[in-house]
Amino acid sequence: MQSLKTQNAVKALLLIALAFFLYTRLANGTLYFYINARFVGFTLIAVFGLLAVALSYRFGQKRPQLADEHGHEHAAAAHDHQHSHAFSWGGALIVLLPIALGLFVPPQPLGAAALSNREINSGANSLDTPAVARAIEEKAPASKNLLDWWQTLRASANPAQELAGQAVNVTGFVYHDERFGTDAFMVTRYVVSCCVADASPLGLVVHWPQAPEFKDDQWIEVKGTFAPSTIEAWQLPILVAESVTPVAAPNHPYLYP
Amino acid sequence: MIANKPTQSDVVGQLTDTLPTGRTAGRSRLLRWLLTVGLIALVLASIFVDTLTSGVGSAFLAQRFQTFVTIFLGIFIEAAPFLLAGSLVSGAIAVFVDQSLLDRYLPRRALPAALSGAALGLFFPVCECGVVPVARRLYEKGLPTSIGVAFLLAAPVVNPVVIVSTYAAFGWGPVLWARVGFSFLVATVVGLIFHLAQAREILLPRISDAHAHACDHHGHAHSEHDSTLAKPKLGVRVQQALNTAGDDFLDMARYLILGAMLAAAMQTLVPQSALLAVGRGPILSVIAMQALAFVLSICSTVDAFLALAFSGAFTTGSIITFLTFGPMVDIKSALMFLGVFQRRVVLYLIILPLLLTLLIGVFWNLNIGL
Repeated sequence: MQSLKTQNAVKALLLIALAFFLYTRLANGTLYFYINARFVGFTLIAVFGLLAVALSYRFGQKRPQLADEHGHEHAAAAHDHQHSHAFSWGGALIVLLPIALGLFVPPQPLGAAALSNREINSGANSLDTPAVARAIEEKAPASKNLLDWWQTLRASANPAQELAGQAVNVTGFVYHDERFGTDAFMVTRYVVSCCVADASPLGLVVHWPQAPEFKDDQWIEVKGTFAPSTIEAWQLPILVAESVTPVAAPNHPYLYP
Repeated sequence: MIANKPTQSDVVGQLTDTLPTGRTAGRSRLLRWLLTVGLIALVLASIFVDTLTSGVGSAFLAQRFQTFVTIFLGIFIEAAPFLLAGSLVSGAIAVFVDQSLLDRYLPRRALPAALSGAALGLFFPVCECGVVPVARRLYEKGLPTSIGVAFLLAAPVVNPVVIVSTYAAFGWGPVLWARVGFSFLVATVVGLIFHLAQAREILLPRISDAHAHACDHHGHAHSEHDSTLAKPKLGVRVQQALNTAGDDFLDMARYLILGAMLAAAMQTLVPQSALLAVGRGPILSVIAMQALAFVLSICSTVDAFLALAFSGAFTTGSIITFLTFGPMVDIKSALMFLGVFQRRVVLYLIILPLLLTLLIGVFWNLNIGL
């Protein structure tokens, strides 16, 4: 990029493009596929911030000198100065990468596929890592979501027996695993504290004879009761379903601790 | 006129000298970026080829790629506002903070300098993405090398926001104190190590040039400049600050994006269980949590909540190491350091905290308790 004018125009356009990209994600709700809802406000601020910064390039023809660089404006310094703000086409391409990937790959929340890489918190294995230890809210069993149940499970010394018979009504996506057998699957949600980089899955094993009818990633609502069970030597309550209803994916696919 | 002539030809000579090299440098930089991206693509491709030939099919490939894109965009979208905030602070420093202010108030002796650098985060509450442009700008203003290094390493933890979030996760307890205390300690020690280093030796050339420039003039009476030049109007200065912030943001965004892609690729390809299976003993558990912290590249403001999930299965020492090492160095921030320091120095900045936090974690496990 030779002229300062072109450079500034490209920079301004890149910033506006980023702002626009963030805004569209915010507007169509797909932002919740990437970050905890708590941080959405920051994204909105960033949209305005990026626009303000982009607009500051509008007097692009002549870059105003910085105040304290005025004093020593010999040739070398001026040369350095110009050099230091050179922005290469390669750099511009890299900044375009998230926008390009965002446009060409349809946005989707993390699903069953990502579970295979996060085994530590999935299925029976997850039981040896305690989940969030904050106080468990006293919610009615029917209104507890998967995270609430998980905390109840963690707090209990002998969850398989203590929770048996409790009524459950939870929503999540289907995840099949050989360990559960053919008449069971896991109803799963990801818990995201910041962004999907820290997503950790949790779920309940659902006993449902027609389990193979549901594909991985299908969102479902499960109603049923807990019954004691054993999976891979782990004593844990299994959710014996009375009904499994396919539902639309929720607006907030992740649970927030 | 006669005196002017040689200088002019000098300048022309300089320009003709530097122009071709400048262009080749730009081209080689482009080539380097492309190679990096190409390498990432190659690694991804090789994995995808593997899954394709293993018969699982293209659906699985698409899902893997989908996961990669989601995690990559997640890290980028999460970090962008904080990087912008850091860039705005950097722009404001560039325009509104006089470097004589730094000269007057910041200590130059080794220990006070390192200590004040490590504590600077309390006054600049920036996270690991925002701290890099701020540190870079302060270097251009002539900040001593040790203060900058200590600031860069400590600020992501030793700042009010992170202290509060760690308190929310772990409460008042050894983990909170150890996290803040050890981050402070490690940053101070690494800062001390860099005390004797010249700016020219560790910073990227264009930053060390500005640094030298600032330091050269540090003896001069600044009032001289100030009196000869009327300060521009506030509106113009705000525009200058925003301009500088935009330059900084775009410059650092490149590193952030590449770092986020690397981290997302690692998350997609390396199963967490592989890292955690390394071991649960007093030493191996610390190493496993360091590897996890490096690969995950999650923001220091929330990593406490994630660490909580591991706290039962892993040793306390390894949790403390996760919480001190992760904010200082991970894939994302190491990539961003490349925008400030020379490559050799970035390696030191990874290895020194790695070893120090390893030492702390193992010491904790063996002497204080699991």
